[in-house]
Amino acid sequence: MPYYRCVVPKDSVPYEQRAEVAKAFTDIHCGNTGAPRSFVHVVFDEADDRWETPYFLDGGNRAGRSEEVKAELLSDLMGAFREITGVASEDFSGRITEGPAKWTMEGGMVLPEPGEETEEWYSHGQAAAGG
Amino acid sequence: MSRVSFDCTMQEGQIGEELRAKLAVALQEITQDVLGESPDDVPVRFSDIPRGFGFRGGEPSTTSLVRGSIVGGVTQDVREDFMRRICDRWMEISGCTVDELVVSARDA
Repeated sequence: MPYYRCVVPKDSVPYEQRAEVAKAFTDIHCGNTGAPRSFVHVVFDEADDRWETPYFLDGGNRAGRSEEVKAELLSDLMGAFREITGVASEDFSGRITEGPAKWTMEGGMVLPEPGEETEEWYSHGQAAAGG
Repeated sequence: MSRVSFDCTMQEGQIGEELRAKLAVALQEITQDVLGESPDDVPVRFSDIPRGFGFRGGEPSTTSLVRGSIVGGVTQDVREDFMRRICDRWMEISGCTVDELVVSARDA
């Protein structure tokens, strides 16, 4: 976690843009939450899911952050996606759902709740990013 | 309806069919050992993320995600034991590192 799934029409977002969006999402998530970069997952899915718009951001995060942080995060992510891909506002929507951190194990460690991150967890995240 | 199920998402080309079969059996065995569910009642689905479509930390990803949906009401100790066993067996069978695996066990 976090896991950001971008549902996009087939062949609509070339690799260069996907890579740029992935980097931007990582920067934004880490900038807003302080999470290690290696924990940010971004996936593009040319699925036939039926959403309200042709492009959809389906994010999943650890529960426990303030409404203000969550709203800013979603707004920043969606803004970056639109800027990089050129997708119009009316064609793109999104949401971030949340689940308890303790339900997920990553890097062999149960995820800490937001605000309860330890030095060990940060260190592991940095090592994973560099390795 | 199954009380436990798994959705496993891997990066394309990383884990072949033979290993997937072994991984599915391992997940079913662990579920039986920890949660007492019959292996026949534990569906395991696999899907691939095409090359160039999965990223981690802003770079191309080599990470697999194992998403378990389990019966509610288990203690955190049981949940952690369940996830840790899955981590250990998945790494053993697939050869991936601990940093290439995310395991979750969500209440159904």
